[in-house]
Amino acid sequence: MSESILEINDLHVSIADKPELQIVRGANLNIRAGEVHALMGPNGSGKSTLANAIAGSPAYTVDSGQILFQGQDVTEMPADQRACLGMFLSFQYPTAIPGVTMVNFLREALKARRGEEVPAREFLVELRETLKTLKMDESFARRYVNDGFSGGEKKRAEILQLGILKPTLAILDETDSGLDVDALRTVSEGINALRTPEIGILIITHYERILNYITPDFVHILVNGQVVKSGDFSLAKEIESNGYDPILAELGIAEEVMTS
Amino acid sequence: MSERAVTVPAYSEAAVIEAAVAREEPDWLLARRTEAARAFDASPMPTTQLRPWKYTDVSDLILEAHLPATPAISIESLAPQGVFVGSISEAAVNTDMTSNVREHLGSVVLATEGRFQAANTANWTEGIYVHVPRGMSSAEPVIATIDASAVSAGSAIYPRVLIDAGVGSEITVVLRFQSSDAPLVVSNVIEMIADADSKIRVLIDDRWGTETREFTTARSRIGRGADVDVASLVIGGRIIKQTVEALIEGEGANSTIRGVALGDSDQHFDFVTLQDHIGPRSTSNVEIKSALAGNSRSIYYGITRVEVSAKGSQANQANRNLLLSGGAKADSDPVLEILTSDVIRCGHAATVGPVDKEALFYLQSRGLSRRAALQLLVTGFFQSVIEDIPGSGFAEEIEGFVIAKLADAEL
Repeated sequence: MSESILEINDLHVSIADKPELQIVRGANLNIRAGEVHALMGPNGSGKSTLANAIAGSPAYTVDSGQILFQGQDVTEMPADQRACLGMFLSFQYPTAIPGVTMVNFLREALKARRGEEVPAREFLVELRETLKTLKMDESFARRYVNDGFSGGEKKRAEILQLGILKPTLAILDETDSGLDVDALRTVSEGINALRTPEIGILIITHYERILNYITPDFVHILVNGQVVKSGDFSLAKEIESNGYDPILAELGIAEEVMTS
Repeated sequence: MSERAVTVPAYSEAAVIEAAVAREEPDWLLARRTEAARAFDASPMPTTQLRPWKYTDVSDLILEAHLPATPAISIESLAPQGVFVGSISEAAVNTDMTSNVREHLGSVVLATEGRFQAANTANWTEGIYVHVPRGMSSAEPVIATIDASAVSAGSAIYPRVLIDAGVGSEITVVLRFQSSDAPLVVSNVIEMIADADSKIRVLIDDRWGTETREFTTARSRIGRGADVDVASLVIGGRIIKQTVEALIEGEGANSTIRGVALGDSDQHFDFVTLQDHIGPRSTSNVEIKSALAGNSRSIYYGITRVEVSAKGSQANQANRNLLLSGGAKADSDPVLEILTSDVIRCGHAATVGPVDKEALFYLQSRGLSRRAALQLLVTGFFQSVIEDIPGSGFAEEIEGFVIAKLADAEL
C-alpha cells in the first residue's frame, strides 16, 4: 500500500472567534499517495472549515483530533510550516493583495517551499511554462496578487501557484465554482498535469462537474461536520441525479443548518 | 527629549550677523538674516495647544543648545546647459543666479512664520538651489545629497532648498538627507515655485541615523496649469515632523503630496499637509502611508481648503496606517474646509489598523513566515508611492531598505 499523505482522525474544529460554534465534529479522512478524493456535501456542512483547518488557518481552532501529514502530526503547526512541508490549499475566495506582484509573491513562496534561493533564470522558465499550461498570458505575472482578477482568473492563479510550488497534498476548495466550461477544462488539465503517484489530491466541490475531468478514486459526503458516507465515483453521480436527501434519509440524519 | 539648557551664543542677532558677514553675504541677505534673528527671538516654540503640534511635544527642545553646523552637499546632475543646480550658498553670493535667489528666497516660506522657519532663515549655511529657465527640462532627476554625517554630535543643521521652475519647464529633484547615529537636530525649509505650465517633482529621501530629529517646512506655490509633486520617504530618524503645503494658485494647477514612513522602536512621525485651492479648476491629491512596528507612532493632520475663488476644483486626501505590532500607534485627522459650493469632488479617508488577517494567512499558507509575509505586505502597501519614484533602480533600493528594516523590526 502506498504512503499516507493525509490522515484526519476524529477532528473537531470550531471558529476561533466563536468557540461555541463547532463546525467540524469528528471528521475522518485518509488520503494516500496517488489518490484523488472528492469531498462533497450540502452548504454549511463544514467542507471549507475542514479545508482551512487542514491548512492551519488561525481563523479556526482545532478542539480535538489529529491532522497527520505524511505521518507527521501537524495539528499545532503554523500554516507556513505546513506549506513548506508540502501542503497546499487552493482557496475558494483568494484574497487580493494590492501592491504585491504575482511574480514577487511566487518567487518568495517558492523560496520558502524549497528552503533556499531559487535561481532567477530557473524560476522564470518554470513560471513561463506553468503559465502556458494554464493558457495564461505572461503579463499575468506582473499583476498584483488577485487584485482586480475575475473569478476565473483567481482560480487559475491558484492553480498557477499549485503548479509552481508542486505540493505533496493539494486541497482544492471549490476550484470549479465560477468557472465556465472552457476555464474548467483548462484548470482541470492544469491539475491533471500535476497528478503523479507521489501526490494526494482532495477536491471539495458541490457538483460532480469537475470530477468528470479529474476522476476521483474516492468520494466522501460530509454532513454536519462528519463524513457520513464514502464511496467511489458512482456516489458523486448519485448525488448529481438525486441530491443529498436520499442519502440523509437512508442514514437517518437530519441536516442541521449552521450559520456563522 | 529633555536637554541641558546650555545655550550657544550663535543664535543671537549679533552672532547671526557676524557669521553672515564672515561668509561675505550681500546686504540684502544680511537684512534678511537680521529679520530672521529677531523673528527667532520673538517666536515661541510651538506648544501642543496648537493643533498641528498636538501630538508632538517640542517644549523640551531648545534650539539654542544646538550649535549650527554645515552639512556636506553633493550634487549629481545631468541637467542641460542653462539649468542651474548647485549650492544655494554659492548661488546667493555674487553669481548670475544671485538676483534669482534674491527674488525667490523667502517668498514662499517666511522667517516670521514660526521658530523653526526663523531659525532656518537666520542660520542656513548650505542647501540647494535649482533654477530651470522657461521651457527647459531635464530628463534625468537631479540628485542632491545633504549629508550631516560629519557634523559634531548635538549640532543643528539648517538646510535650505529653493527650486524655481520657469514657464513650461520641468525638473525632478531628489533630496537625499543623511546623518550618523549621533544626536542631530534638523530644521529644513524647502521652497518650490512653479510658474505656469511647469512641472516640479521633489522626492524627500530621508536616510537619517537613529538620533536625528527633523522639522521640515516644504511649501510650493503653483501657477496656472503647473504641477508640483512632492513625495517623502521616511525610514530613519527618531522624530520626523514634516509640514508639506501647496498653494495651488493658478487655474487648473495640480498638487500631489505623498509620503511613506516605516517606523520601529520609538520612532515618531508627524505629517501635516495643506492643499490650499485658490485657483479655479485646480486639483490635488494627498496620500500619506505609514507602517509601524515596535512602539513607533505616526500622526497625520491634513487640511484640504477650497477657497471661494477655487470653483470647479477637486481634491483627495488619504491617510493609511498599518499597525504591525501591539505597541504601535497612529492618529489621523484629515480636515476639509470647503468655502465654495462649486466643487467637483472633495474626498478624504483615514484608516488605522492591523494588517489584513486574511492576506497574512494567504501568504503564510504559501510557506512565507509571518515576517516574510509582513515584508511583502508592507512593500505592497507602500507601492502606490514607491512605484513611480524617479530614477532607475531607486524603487528597488527603497524596497530593499523596507525589507531590511523589517528583518529586525519588532513585529
